[in-house]
Amino acid sequence: MQLSTCYLFQGLSECQLKQLIAISTEIRVQQGTWLYHENEPADQMFVLKDGAVELLSTIDDAIELPITIIRSPGSCFGTSALIPPHLYSLSARCAKDATLQAIKQNDLRNLIQQNGELGFAILTNLAKHFLDRLKETRQELKIHFKTLFKSMHH
Amino acid sequence: MPEHNEIRLEKHSTVTVFCIEGDVTAFSEPFLNTAYQKANEQGAKKILLKFDKDAYINSGGIAVLIQILAETRRNNQDTAITGVSDHFKKIFHMVGITKFAKIFNTLEEALALMTKES
Repeated sequence: MQLSTCYLFQGLSECQLKQLIAISTEIRVQQGTWLYHENEPADQMFVLKDGAVELLSTIDDAIELPITIIRSPGSCFGTSALIPPHLYSLSARCAKDATLQAIKQNDLRNLIQQNGELGFAILTNLAKHFLDRLKETRQELKIHFKTLFKSMHH
Repeated sequence: MPEHNEIRLEKHSTVTVFCIEGDVTAFSEPFLNTAYQKANEQGAKKILLKFDKDAYINSGGIAVLIQILAETRRNNQDTAITGVSDHFKKIFHMVGITKFAKIFNTLEEALALMTKES
């Protein structure tokens, strides 16, 4: 079961993982299918079982900016479903026929409310992941500034 | 998670080929800069960036490429790209990378044209 290898669920007990499995549904998605778009209500999150899903953002509705590709089994995405205001911060498109475990936001929220320990573990894992993403974004920003400064001084 | 890239420099006649392995992200910057510095020390005038067939290049990777391409333009180096999927060809065109570097479908095609140009 891919949920046990997902970074979000690291440190959970067998019993807690079983509770998560009980609220997840397996879905199959074809290449090219949009799973969700940026700023839409984040009503579910996903864990990849096989295939590949690309996360992207758009600039002025015209330029698709590639953010990452999810291709390792056990990787998750759509985690905006866990955080208010529950709006997807990126769009997700299936890059290669995929099998996913979908977890509905309401079901996960109910589970977290019933089990504070599980909720704490999930949100701690999520915070660590977001910190890594923040470091990458800062690095990207530095590169843009360096390019800009060099172009201004030549 | 920081990426690790292996970048091998190959000399094909007058063209220096950067064989870039792995996905390209903001964390690829030191690997590409080191390779570029090495190519400059070897007096490279024509540079071909060759990517892995399945390589994913995200927005941070695009930023690194723009940085390198701006540098090659300042140094009057002829630069081209090969090995990218149709998906990334479209993105490179959208973000303006094709104004800095021509994209070739194959390594052979790129070398044939680049070695011909004086």
